[in-house]
Amino acid sequence: MKKELQRNLVRTARTTTLYILVAGVAMVILFPIYFLVTMSLMSDFEMYNEWPLPMLPSFSMSFKLQNSQKGYLLSIYNKVDNTYLDMLDTNDTGYIINFVKRKTNCTLTREKLNEIIEELKNNSKVEFKLRKNFLLNYTLFFRLKKDAWPAFLRSIYTAVVTILISLSIGGMGGYAFSRYFFKGKNFLKLGVLFVRMFPAVATAIPAAIILGNMGLYDKPIGLAFIYSIGSIGLTIWITASIFLSIPVELEEAAQIFGTSKAGAFWHVTLPLALPGLAACAMYAFIGSWNEYAQAIILTQFNPTFPVVVFEYVLGATGMAHLATAGGMTLAIPAVIFYLFIRRYILRMWGGVRV
Amino acid sequence: MDSLTHSRSIWKKAAPYLLIAPTIVWYGFFWARPVIQAFYGGFFDLNGHFTLDNYKFVFNDPYFLQAIFNTFFIAIVSVAVEFVLAFGLSLLINIRFKGAGVFLFIATIPMALPFVAIAAMWKAGLATYGWLNSFLYHVGLIAKNGKIVFMSGNKWPSIFVIIIIDAWGVIPSMMIILVAGMQNLNEELKEAGYIFGGTRLTVLRKITIPLLKSTITTALILRIISAIQIWAIITLMFGYLRLPTLVSQLVFYSDQRAPADPVYYQRALAYSVIVAIIISSIVILYLKVSGSFRKEENG
Repeated sequence: MKKELQRNLVRTARTTTLYILVAGVAMVILFPIYFLVTMSLMSDFEMYNEWPLPMLPSFSMSFKLQNSQKGYLLSIYNKVDNTYLDMLDTNDTGYIINFVKRKTNCTLTREKLNEIIEELKNNSKVEFKLRKNFLLNYTLFFRLKKDAWPAFLRSIYTAVVTILISLSIGGMGGYAFSRYFFKGKNFLKLGVLFVRMFPAVATAIPAAIILGNMGLYDKPIGLAFIYSIGSIGLTIWITASIFLSIPVELEEAAQIFGTSKAGAFWHVTLPLALPGLAACAMYAFIGSWNEYAQAIILTQFNPTFPVVVFEYVLGATGMAHLATAGGMTLAIPAVIFYLFIRRYILRMWGGVRV
Repeated sequence: MDSLTHSRSIWKKAAPYLLIAPTIVWYGFFWARPVIQAFYGGFFDLNGHFTLDNYKFVFNDPYFLQAIFNTFFIAIVSVAVEFVLAFGLSLLINIRFKGAGVFLFIATIPMALPFVAIAAMWKAGLATYGWLNSFLYHVGLIAKNGKIVFMSGNKWPSIFVIIIIDAWGVIPSMMIILVAGMQNLNEELKEAGYIFGGTRLTVLRKITIPLLKSTITTALILRIISAIQIWAIITLMFGYLRLPTLVSQLVFYSDQRAPADPVYYQRALAYSVIVAIIISSIVILYLKVSGSFRKEENG
């Protein structure tokens, strides 16, 4: 009886340690992401005038306006120290409106300010609260970085062309690998693997020269041509295994019922392979969307979105709230597509069952 | 009729080659040609005369030795650290406790994030007034005036910071390979080990790890190959020349110097060749170890 109790106790202790460990690791993984998200929602004031940083971004900010010798003295409430910080002393009301927006992500309308100034005639100070514009960092990032929006569109264009090239060329290759035996098959398989692992950044400079001769340097379509090298290999791999899993007998049966070989492929094999092809497309999208190393070398005046974010993060000091907003904008599409094809990715990395 | 079947059989023979031809043409044009041009172009100056100056420049580059050292040191240390942690995590997942699936999901989230976003996140986190210090303060680990300066810019602390960030982003993919290897292990062998009186540790040491040998090599080599990506995190955190690596020098010369002085393109080509040679030898080693050179009989 006593022994059993002891055993139970040991087991409970062991499970508890296990779960504490698991929770700890999960925290280490999730916390930075949590902060990436919250910081992209914080204003300049929260980031740089309050310390420690709040664990949650605030939804509203409190202000105080006083009469001063110059005109008006604007103070912003610091939630950490529970005091008003004097921020601005000016008689330029337009500047006050601008400053409030830039510093705290709140919109102070001209009417509201006039009301407050009216009130100031009878009072020595007026305190007021404004709601924060939650996503202002995101719009601000695109407004401050003039080339961010065109770069965003270029990135989508590049990704789409990369998908089209790699699905058509790689899909044909994958079909050949799965259905035929031909000379040089082993060599080619090895070659595809080798090319895929070869450091692409090492070929970027001569690739830039080749694209330049074709008139495609610094153009999204040129980038797509280079990006598809990697994704063609991947598409061959994935599609070959998809086509292998679809029995040839199915195609043959369709042919017996009167369609041509191409018709059998079009009406029987392709629909069955569609989910896998969609996964290939998303994989190609992620690869192209996230790529920056080659894009830095292969573009000059027309960068892609990751390059814009790269340069912003590289140069940004004291602009972390905008840099994180840029990083989030880059991450969101990649994460969405990743969630769609998670099973495929994990299987490709070694066959994990999920 | 006879000629029709004949032409059909020719078509059938040609089909795989026709299907594979676009891939070969594409690879030849956009991959093989740049590779050859990199090797070839590194030996020429801008006027097309043969020269060794590009390589002389690289070997005399004051950053070159540092770049070699940083590249290899950071790669080896981070791979070692990441391997130990990834192995521990996969053992944990392999216990198959309740919620292991959710845990696996959480643990693979960093794989979804672009490197640039990861760098932005940590750059904002490790600033002295950033979120990590704030968090440490909130949980009571540091005082208000005891903020830790993570980004002092000194060499060893910088390398340490880089290894941590890289580990955060890269452990998941390594873990996935190891988890897969463990799932495919024959459980009976482990049970036999326990029956013959083995403890958890001896079973791990004498049965699990030896059986996982090929998985482990795969994980390690794949990780070393992708270690060249570390340059981006280093550059984003500390700028180009603070902690130079081979790839960051390549990008620096071609992106920052060459627009003003085209001779740097040729010099960056020399860097490209060095990077290409190092990585492709590791890739060939991987292909050899993973058994890709073995011929398949059919299919």
